[in-house]
Amino acid sequence: MTSTLEARELVVVREGRRILDRASILVRSGEAVAIQGPSGSGKSTFARALATLLEPDGGAVLLGGRDARQIVPTQFRTRVAFLAQQPAMFEGSVVQNLKTGPALHGESLSDAQASDLIRAVGLDEPILQREARILSGGEKQRVALARALANAPEVLLLDEPTAALDPEAGERIVALLRELRLRGLSIVMVTHEDAHARALGGTLYRCERGRLAIDS
Amino acid sequence: MSYAHITLPRLLLSLGLIAVAIALSRRSRLGLEGDLLWGAVRGAAQLIAIGYVLLLLFNHEHPAWVLLLLAVMLVVAGATAARRVEHGPPRKVLFPRAIAAIGAGTLVAVLPVFAAVVPLHPWYEARYLVPISGMMLSNAMNVVAQVFERIFASARSEADQVEALLALGATPRQALERQVRATLRAALLPTINGLLTVGLVALPGMMTGQIVSGTPPEQAVRYQIVILYQLVAVAAVAGMIAVAFARRLLFTARAQLVLPPN
Repeated sequence: MTSTLEARELVVVREGRRILDRASILVRSGEAVAIQGPSGSGKSTFARALATLLEPDGGAVLLGGRDARQIVPTQFRTRVAFLAQQPAMFEGSVVQNLKTGPALHGESLSDAQASDLIRAVGLDEPILQREARILSGGEKQRVALARALANAPEVLLLDEPTAALDPEAGERIVALLRELRLRGLSIVMVTHEDAHARALGGTLYRCERGRLAIDS
Repeated sequence: MSYAHITLPRLLLSLGLIAVAIALSRRSRLGLEGDLLWGAVRGAAQLIAIGYVLLLLFNHEHPAWVLLLLAVMLVVAGATAARRVEHGPPRKVLFPRAIAAIGAGTLVAVLPVFAAVVPLHPWYEARYLVPISGMMLSNAMNVVAQVFERIFASARSEADQVEALLALGATPRQALERQVRATLRAALLPTINGLLTVGLVALPGMMTGQIVSGTPPEQAVRYQIVILYQLVAVAAVAGMIAVAFARRLLFTARAQLVLPPN
């Protein structure tokens, strides 16, 4: 059972401009949510604030009904995984990348678990030994997904996971997210692509000028 | 003690060395003539001034004067280390932190040595306290300046890496570990290289000075060894403290990366 993730009236102001204007969202356990909006609408800022990587000027993020400010950041981010638009690969092989998250918490990921994870994101095992930084955009996105899954999160938060990919690779990522949702993960995907937002098959929010509204 | 006196005309003669550099700069169109001339005049003026200050201090040795001079040196070192840090916070933010890092590093290197290795009589004996502390302050200043310069620049250029680690549940210390290691290695390398090449490439200034003014070489060497070890300690301590300050400036209490505005 995963926890509910909620953003309650988030406000982010930068240089006098309201980037987020009381943006709210509710992601129930095992639910998929897509946030669609044009570039500059504030959706990436929203994703970062929801991931607690950015401190909002107003409002709150709640996980399982608890204010994120009362949860140790390292714990919150282990439970709510965030993937940037072009995820940074760490120096070393793919398997070393996968082992990073658990190692940060004093745990270890076995080679067998790494193989399971890499297969779960639709890649073949030989990639585990390759240098992570020289992979293609689509491969990096999948490795980043596997790396986040190594922490066994409850919620996956993705900022434009398909933006840097060709259409086919983008569709495969969305299909993969649908599959992960079926395994019980909650998914929040921010995207400017309407087709991908719909293809995720969950609740659809529209983001405009820093405000969020459910698309009916 | 006997040593060759440098008369004023002879001192002026050494300006010829600067003239050589200026001529080369002009010939190669480096545009450094003004800087060279200003540097030569300013450097000489500063040294002559400190010469008189030291003379005054030796003649009126009082703890308050000695401490005042050390405090002035510390402030100048702090201001120098905190200036022109690209991609870093404003000078007024870095200045007190630079003072703390340089001061703490110098204390760690200086106190035990004057307590146990080169005992001072009285404890504020300026002849030892001022020049040796000056060397420590100068090394700490260079290390702290380098730490500030590198750590803020690398946090910016590798922000995506740092945030990816934070997003995986890393603490700020874990997220910045790679950049901290690279920064400290680079900042400590000149001091370590100094240890490795001393005597082989160059005879250090203090040792040379002591020998020239008549100190037996084996004593001058011992002083120099102590100084070298002090320089290592000061670099390590000042560097670590500067890194700790930089880390606190780069992250919020909620472990969010906040880069200083460009």
